Amino acid sequence: MQLTIITDLNKCVGCKSCQVSCKEHNTSGAFGPVPDEHPYQDPDGMWWNRIVTMESGEYPNTQVMYLPKACMHCYDAPCVPVCPTGASYKRADNGVVLVDYESCIGCQLCMWACPYGVREFDEEEGVVKKCTLCIDRIEDETLPEVERQPACVQSCPTHARTFGDLDDPTSEVSKLVAERQGFGLLPELGARPAVHYLPRRPAPSPVSRDEISALLEEKY
Amino acid sequence: MKPSIQLLALTIGQGLAVGLTVALAYLASRGVLTPPLVWTFLGASLFTAAVGGVASFFHMHHFSAARYILRRLKTSWLSREALTTGLFGGLLFLLALWTLLATPSLNGEGYGIFVWGVAFFGLLALFVTAMLYATIPAMLSWHSPTTVLNFLVLGLYGGASWAIVLEALSHRPAAALGTIQLALLVLVFIIKGLQWHIFRLARQRIDPATGFGLPFAPYRLQDTGTTKPPYRTQTQTQPGLDPASRVSKQVATILFLGVVPVIATVFGMHAQGGGFSLVGAASVTVGLGLERWLFFRDATHSSQVFFNDAPDVPSRVAEAVNTKRTWASGRSLGK
Repeated sequence: MQLTIITDLNKCVGCKSCQVSCKEHNTSGAFGPVPDEHPYQDPDGMWWNRIVTMESGEYPNTQVMYLPKACMHCYDAPCVPVCPTGASYKRADNGVVLVDYESCIGCQLCMWACPYGVREFDEEEGVVKKCTLCIDRIEDETLPEVERQPACVQSCPTHARTFGDLDDPTSEVSKLVAERQGFGLLPELGARPAVHYLPRRPAPSPVSRDEISALLEEKY
Repeated sequence: MKPSIQLLALTIGQGLAVGLTVALAYLASRGVLTPPLVWTFLGASLFTAAVGGVASFFHMHHFSAARYILRRLKTSWLSREALTTGLFGGLLFLLALWTLLATPSLNGEGYGIFVWGVAFFGLLALFVTAMLYATIPAMLSWHSPTTVLNFLVLGLYGGASWAIVLEALSHRPAAALGTIQLALLVLVFIIKGLQWHIFRLARQRIDPATGFGLPFAPYRLQDTGTTKPPYRTQTQTQPGLDPASRVSKQVATILFLGVVPVIATVFGMHAQGGGFSLVGAASVTVGLGLERWLFFRDATHSSQVFFNDAPDVPSRVAEAVNTKRTWASGRSLGK
């Protein structure tokens, strides 16, 4: 089993509700806090899920894309074997990559090894923290079934994020990846990320109302 | 990435300790050891090894977990580094203890074999430390064999430079250490040249097409995701050095690591005492500090594709923009 999140880049509007709900849930949950040094002055705190905004192309053919970036829970997670104490580990039963704060020495080698820069160093506790795929929620049997999913997935207003088992070919996430050419980031680095993104569809070229009318007249 | 003082002290201290031990082993095999010479070498090696050891301890941020450090010997080079560097330090201490308590024949075969054994473990520790950096594919600048060669050769070069000073202080003949130092200097610059070239290639390897999956270039990063330089919680990345700053530090490295020591050696050939060699060795140490700072600070991590803000380019189509709004948005983007 490999739990994962698939993000449809056509639906993501960059509202950052996943980013905020992640921070809210985890700070008050079992794996928090996700600290800020100067919470009311400086936005440069710890976020396990960050929305990166990128623009591509040349004016006027440009497009903006929002990329929610959290731990990719890689199949071959490079952060796991480099950890000297075994604090970073990948669960065999569901593929989630986690950090045991008790045995983390804060050497930050896993942060260098992670190709995506999604691990964050907590200066207060001296340990590295990261997205847990809300493991405390998804394994909490006291929660209703519908709520047993990561906070970022549940809070997405456009339903851009889908949670499921990538190793199950009948799951919704597997079907989305297979049918819509889901891709992982930085494949050349060989980490085999479990988190996938559904690519942007080509933007339709702008056609004016006059052009449509002219075409209709010509045809009919 | 962010170069921390502990990392600089750890790698430089370890390199110098190993270099000095190898120099001691070389002198032992030449049969020129005297008690004062051995003690100055052992003292200097133990001191630099202790500097590295203390720095490695304070490089950790959660001391209570240190007892688990050898758990992942099978896969983690950092775990192996703790083992091999610990072994080297322990053997060096044993060598000093043996020299002090048993007063062995310093130029005898047994003493030479033991010193070479310690030097071998030192070289092994240096190799393992270098592999720690060289085996991280995400650290694009370091993922190369030149990283290993760089650590080994610079350690030996630094050790040889200080060995000449210690020899001069104990009034011993130079035993060809100057020639060895010059040969190592040539190797240092060949490897450094190669490594700086690899660093340049690594900067060009940052690829938004595979980092974002966007179909067409050019790319502009508009928001790094509620963070801003120097990315306080993400020590693996930092905004790149500007070219002028990089070149000036590379020139300074060349000056301190190569030019000043060579001039000091040339003047030292016609002078009595160890003054010039001391200047040369001090210059090499400063050069090592600069080199190691550049090694960490100028390294390119693959995640830099998500962190490097594009420079602000004024819009070609927007009307005069409300300055208050521009200020606010610039602030929120961390620019």
